[in-house]
Amino acid sequence: MAESVITVQGLVKRYGDLTAVDHIDFEVYRGEVFSMLGPNGAGKTTTVEIMECLRTKTEGDVTILGMDIERKVRDIKKRIGVLPQDFNAFDLLTVKENIEYFGGMFKHQLPADDLIETVNLGEKRDVYFKNLSGGLKQRVGVAISMVNDPDIIFLDEPTTGLDPVARREVWEVIKDLKSKGKTIILTTHYMEEAEVLSDRVGIIDRGKFITMGSPNDIIDRYGTGTTMIVRGGDDTALQRLQGLSSKVERKGNDIVVRLDSKDVLPEAIMRIHEEGVHYEEVQMRRSTLEDVFLTLTGKRLENGEEVKKGKRVKK
Amino acid sequence: MTGRLMSSKVMINLIAQIKMFFRSPGSVFWTVAFPVLLILLFGAIFSGTGSTKYSLYVQDLDGSPISEEFVDALNSTGVLIINKVDPGIDSDQYIKDNSIASFLTIPQGFSSSFLPEPERQNSTLLLRIDNSSSSSGTVATIVNAASQSINLELAGGSIVVSTAILGISNTAQYNFIDFFLPGVIGLTAMTSTVNWMVGLQTRYRQNGIFKKLATTPITQMDWLVSLILWQIATVFMSVVIILAVGILAFDVHLTLDPISIGIIVLSSALFSAMGLIIARFVKDEETAGAAAGAITFPMMFLAGSFFPLESMPPYLAAIAKAMPLTYVNNGLRDSMIYANTAGAINNLLIVAMLTVVFMVVGAAISTWKQE
Repeated sequence: MAESVITVQGLVKRYGDLTAVDHIDFEVYRGEVFSMLGPNGAGKTTTVEIMECLRTKTEGDVTILGMDIERKVRDIKKRIGVLPQDFNAFDLLTVKENIEYFGGMFKHQLPADDLIETVNLGEKRDVYFKNLSGGLKQRVGVAISMVNDPDIIFLDEPTTGLDPVARREVWEVIKDLKSKGKTIILTTHYMEEAEVLSDRVGIIDRGKFITMGSPNDIIDRYGTGTTMIVRGGDDTALQRLQGLSSKVERKGNDIVVRLDSKDVLPEAIMRIHEEGVHYEEVQMRRSTLEDVFLTLTGKRLENGEEVKKGKRVKK
Repeated sequence: MTGRLMSSKVMINLIAQIKMFFRSPGSVFWTVAFPVLLILLFGAIFSGTGSTKYSLYVQDLDGSPISEEFVDALNSTGVLIINKVDPGIDSDQYIKDNSIASFLTIPQGFSSSFLPEPERQNSTLLLRIDNSSSSSGTVATIVNAASQSINLELAGGSIVVSTAILGISNTAQYNFIDFFLPGVIGLTAMTSTVNWMVGLQTRYRQNGIFKKLATTPITQMDWLVSLILWQIATVFMSVVIILAVGILAFDVHLTLDPISIGIIVLSSALFSAMGLIIARFVKDEETAGAAAGAITFPMMFLAGSFFPLESMPPYLAAIAKAMPLTYVNNGLRDSMIYANTAGAINNLLIVAMLTVVFMVVGAAISTWKQE
């Protein structure tokens, strides 16, 4: 594996009796996109804000680029870029002026015009920040987070509150950063976002990581495997598929088959592709991180809130 | 290099604040309009102080040349506007119908007071005054003085002790607006900086700009220095406007010397720091204005911005001594009106000391870091 740029060991953050971050350990490697995925209040933002030197820790060791977060705050700030949660810039400065303002805080800075091109905001260069839509504001925030050409970029819930189109536009910008080889720490409660953008994901719940790895590894490990759905399958189809897998069930007009292994897929297709067997179509569905979260916590996430059997879970 | 870099961050923030100020019509309006409105309003109300005239209604029931002479004597004081009332009118009804504050009745037989003895008869002038009116005391004094001078004359006396009245100043005659203008400068320095600072700090803390700034190398000190520099500049903008309006509209006679400039600079920093301290205890922008007002509004009245401290009850004057604005007002008046250099320097030193205390406390309790 590549060089480790962030190490977190035994990190704890308590607010009175509440333990927001509970003895977590992890590493982030140079050039990867590492996502912290979890519901609101899971401890994601507290953890990244400790790494960004914005919050104090209660216990544990955290180093950024080999520097201790308490002793080397000034040096760390020069080498990280941050898009904080609920990012805002100066309303009455233009996009370009805002980027130049924050650039001016650093000794080494990238030209504002280059950054504007990177986040594709050329047409909005001279528009006041207050007149931008939510998605465009976040793109300005990403540009500002890159203004000092940082080694590590922290993006704290960069797409929360955005509509699906704006969210995908921000994803494109993040993919572009990834292609430039930047190390990115992303926090999100959107499963799809973590799956699409991340090299590695840490699923965090109640201040603890409950699993960590590449999205594919996690899905393979905790997912429900691959599911074959035979639309409009008749009873003959059902009979032929039974015995192939331990989990074959009828759901209305469809037959749902949980494939224990991808290897049985050709056999399953062959069994229904025979004379006397009727069905309309076959669909394949792979497990997602959402299924993993449900498996591991028994809860689903809706806009960052945990939902259990249709009811929001109170914390 | 560090020093240069630090000053460049101060400059960058200063320039950004200037740009944002001029892009916000509201900010410009209040910086310019607030002091101008105050001067024009108070100037219009009080600029006549010193040559104010009071109305006196006179019903002459005597109707003799002597009583007319007495009315002329009252008129010649230059302080009273005499309104003659027909002797046939019912005075009580007339006073009621016309809301009159001062009504003098010259009794029938008034002229017989001027006859030689033994025909002379005493007479009583009847002056009815509205005790709730601020001018009634003055009118009573003038009428009394006029009647006393008649008594003196009739008794064959002569004036031994007289009073000559001069204005209090070494150089020129000053009036209320001259006294008021340094007060306007002081209170503008206070209200504009405290309001701006509390509003800005609360807004930036609430909308996350401080969180973003905290991730960059700019320090709180850079930030505060640039804000205070900008507030000094804004206050001077107001001072120029205040003086221009004062000179053009009311012909004020004020001097802006190095001491008064020093007091204005220090007070801008002092009140910026006060705003910083208030902002620390304000949760959101909605309550920022009220919090700033709760501190500045009483201070505006208690620190002698509008009226001399001497005219206040002793307990209020004692409270005024605890108000930083009092020393700003006193210092500005000492230097701008009275040419009292020693007094001005004394107040300047007090303001300087308070500035240091407020800035140290303000900087110490303000933080971008979250717990």
